[in-house]
Amino acid sequence: MWHRLRALWRNLAHKQVVEDDLAQELDSYQTMLVDEKSRAGMDPGAALRSARLEMEGREQIKENVRDVRLGVAIDTFFSELRQSLRGLRRSKDLTILCSIMLALGIGATTVVFSIFYAALIQPLPFRDSDRLVELHESRLRRGIDHAAFSEANFWDVRAQNHSFKEVAALHYDEANLTGDGPAEKVTDRSVTVNFFRTLGVSPVLGRDFTGSDDQNGFNNSVVILGNKFWRTRFGADPKIIGKTLRLNDRACIVVGVLPPGEPWISDQVYQPFGYRADANRESWEYSVIGRLAPGVSLGAAQADLTRVAAMLAKAYPGADQGIGFALSPASNWIASNNARRALWVLVGAVSFLLLIACLNMANLLLARGTARQREIAVRIALGAGRARLIRFVMMESLLLSLFGTLLGLALADATLRGLQAMAVQGIPRLAEATLNPWVLGFSVLIAILTGVLSGIAPALQTPASGTANAMRDSDHQTGSREQNRLRGVLVAAEVAISFLLLVGAGLLIRSFTELMNVNRGFQTENRLVFSVSMPESYYQNGAGKQFVDRFFQRLSALPQVIAAGAVSSRPIEGADTGMNIVAVPANNNGSRMSALSGPPPWAGWRIISPDYFSAIGLPLLRGRAFNERDKPVWTEHGQPVPRRRVVISQHLAKLLFGNQDAVGKRVALWGNSSLDAEVIGVVADSRERGPAHSPTLTVYLPYGRNAPVSEFVLHTRGNPLALAPTVRAIVAKLDPNLPVADVRSFEEVVDRSLSPQRFNVILLSSFGGLALLLATTGIYGVLAYSMNRRTAEIGLRIALGATRANILGIVLRQGMRPAFAGVLLGALGAWWLSRYLATLLFGIKPFDVFTYVAVAALLLATALIACLLPGRRAMHIDPAVALRTE
Amino acid sequence: MKTPPPSASTALLQGTLDVLILKVLALEPLHGLGISRRIAQVSGNTFQVKPGSLFPALHRMEEAGWLSSSWGESENTRRAKFYRLTKAGTRQLKQETDQWARISAAMASALEMS
Repeated sequence: MWHRLRALWRNLAHKQVVEDDLAQELDSYQTMLVDEKSRAGMDPGAALRSARLEMEGREQIKENVRDVRLGVAIDTFFSELRQSLRGLRRSKDLTILCSIMLALGIGATTVVFSIFYAALIQPLPFRDSDRLVELHESRLRRGIDHAAFSEANFWDVRAQNHSFKEVAALHYDEANLTGDGPAEKVTDRSVTVNFFRTLGVSPVLGRDFTGSDDQNGFNNSVVILGNKFWRTRFGADPKIIGKTLRLNDRACIVVGVLPPGEPWISDQVYQPFGYRADANRESWEYSVIGRLAPGVSLGAAQADLTRVAAMLAKAYPGADQGIGFALSPASNWIASNNARRALWVLVGAVSFLLLIACLNMANLLLARGTARQREIAVRIALGAGRARLIRFVMMESLLLSLFGTLLGLALADATLRGLQAMAVQGIPRLAEATLNPWVLGFSVLIAILTGVLSGIAPALQTPASGTANAMRDSDHQTGSREQNRLRGVLVAAEVAISFLLLVGAGLLIRSFTELMNVNRGFQTENRLVFSVSMPESYYQNGAGKQFVDRFFQRLSALPQVIAAGAVSSRPIEGADTGMNIVAVPANNNGSRMSALSGPPPWAGWRIISPDYFSAIGLPLLRGRAFNERDKPVWTEHGQPVPRRRVVISQHLAKLLFGNQDAVGKRVALWGNSSLDAEVIGVVADSRERGPAHSPTLTVYLPYGRNAPVSEFVLHTRGNPLALAPTVRAIVAKLDPNLPVADVRSFEEVVDRSLSPQRFNVILLSSFGGLALLLATTGIYGVLAYSMNRRTAEIGLRIALGATRANILGIVLRQGMRPAFAGVLLGALGAWWLSRYLATLLFGIKPFDVFTYVAVAALLLATALIACLLPGRRAMHIDPAVALRTE
Repeated sequence: MKTPPPSASTALLQGTLDVLILKVLALEPLHGLGISRRIAQVSGNTFQVKPGSLFPALHRMEEAGWLSSSWGESENTRRAKFYRLTKAGTRQLKQETDQWARISAAMASALEMS
């Protein structure tokens, strides 16, 4: 062993000594051989010649010895590395072109993978997250499989189940933070005290909620802050614990700060809530999570919950009729199925792009390989084996991919930062996507794969035979025709893959335009939306209504405002509050409502101001809108029961009353016959949840002293955002304690809701565009090169009377053949693959003939342009000059 | 580069060369040409070792620790590099000789049977 190490050291560190020694040894061998032959009677000249012949070429012997030396791999590696670098420096253009191509490919791959990693691979920031589940209520008979919990059902499940270690609930609220600085609206989650314990999250500062926190009165309220909020609002103040915040005019003491992370723990403020005996069973508002008890499987927990559901359905036949519970494991918390699908599509697309970059580089290296035949022949003559030559070519492509990777990583880093700065919506955990070790490792893997993949073809065409053949002028080798065919195949593959990418991009673009043009019900042009949130007390003493009325007065006095309205929950971005709604049979003539055979529909409810419909541009189809005399449907404390009136959406009217006129009919709100109301109007359907969702069923309720509205919509003349400062000024003047938040144009709200789709469109389109560019350079490169080689032939043809049209025909045939083949293959592949896009598409079929035809036309047209340049050159070949070069 | 097809007289079985070199060096230290000539001699001219295979073998075996080398003077007063067997080389020779004995016995009996 010791021996070997010494030899290795000598071979590597004292290379010159070892080499000299070998040279001397061979010299000595030869001298003695000559001696021997002379002694045998040869004359000295003949003896020397004969000895040399017997030595079979000293350099090859040396090579053979070098090949068996210890450390030969390391040694040749470095020498080949040096040679490759020298070679790459010599052909700068090619090096730069290949590096850029690979940088684009690898950069794009890295970006997609880092997003993919953050969204789908990176573990949740919770202890033993595989034991965590989210619980939903369901009413399968009514087609509801994932609803929020009602508070009472949550407490019952928590008490009755036998399969969870902990069950915890969270309720979405907002609160006004006042005190230091201007009033601010913050997300304020109410959670059960065991919520963070259930997740397995401990505060980074201070303490978690404890059992006594939820039993206190208002005078000793506690809050835990989200990490980001703590950093941005309080400058990561380490002494925040024990400080007092004013939330909705209540003093709250900060007891803890959460660690960063998503989901559940990324909101701003968390407050505890405790058990209430009078908890509501009708309103589905709570998110519920559970940690499975040790040894309990998901299936067992599901069975246990089914038992609890049966108990609840029996005990509360009204609210819990047909109740069931659904469990979804924590692995589904980050990315929805559609987001998952979209990410997989992006991964597929970017792999295709990388493949095209590889093919293109292989093509360029092939072309250069031909030009280098002579260099390679010289290497063979000097004793380089085939294996070594292949290594040499591989080394080059690996080096190129290394350059490409370095450049690509820089590109990826910049792109990621850009995406994060733009805060693209709808990509799960985008903010957490970084070039972490996993991503870097993946990129290195990709780089090696790329290097090998693009080196294979050039490496395999290193001549296996005949140095003499290769030494001759390389342009007239018999192998070149075969090689040309190989390059044609590579180009066809590039075109085919580009076709796939372009079809993908085309389908998404078409789908996106459909999405943008779909009838949304409401209007988005020249609408300003903003929220002015009021503390709950404003709705107990009527201050809220007073404020809103005065605010409307001021707003309608503005010349820029056409209409001003308000709603309890903003379309698309706001919470989706819902209720069961039932048609009440008219009691005067006893006619039965036949439409009531099915289960009662679930409809979203919104509280609105009288002018909301005109402000948001929702057309009134029948009856009338609300006016100031219409009072909230909730009975105010100490007041007589109001005459309840509602406006419903078109489709809901049809579901409830069939073809009869809904105006004047009565409905039971929340499925409660004591909450019956008169329908006074019908408005058009709207896509409350965004253009990508189906129109919703909606019940509109009038606002009032005890029915809050906090989202305002202004129909403006001209740019809506120009009005924002005025609005802020008016609110500040009317009530400085009320924060104005989320000021946006309605267009922007819609745009943001389509952000995931837009992101896919942009990414896939840029991949498609890059693919097209690469494929075009591929076609051009092959053709230009081959026309160069055929100069003499074409000169001869012209001399023999071929017209320019003939010549152009030759060029086009050669150039367009792989393009056509590629388009054909691509169409087949796209037809096969586009089914995976189906769920991401809106309004069009995966096999959209228009897209396919457009892509084929685009590809062929670009290919034609790529052919025309070499074609023009060929047409203008001067036969006299061309033939003389022969 | 085409090499002529190996004739029966020069074809060395894989691994044969090593044991032959070890064997001839067991008697006395020799230089490259000497080894080549001695192998031809002891094998009755059956094996002609060309420098193209001799030197790689020598260097490989030296690095393996079976041989050691030093510069000296040849019988004809030429400077030459002499190889000698080390202890490890002697062990290796013993091992390979045994193996060859087993193989040749096995081959002999196999060929006799047919």
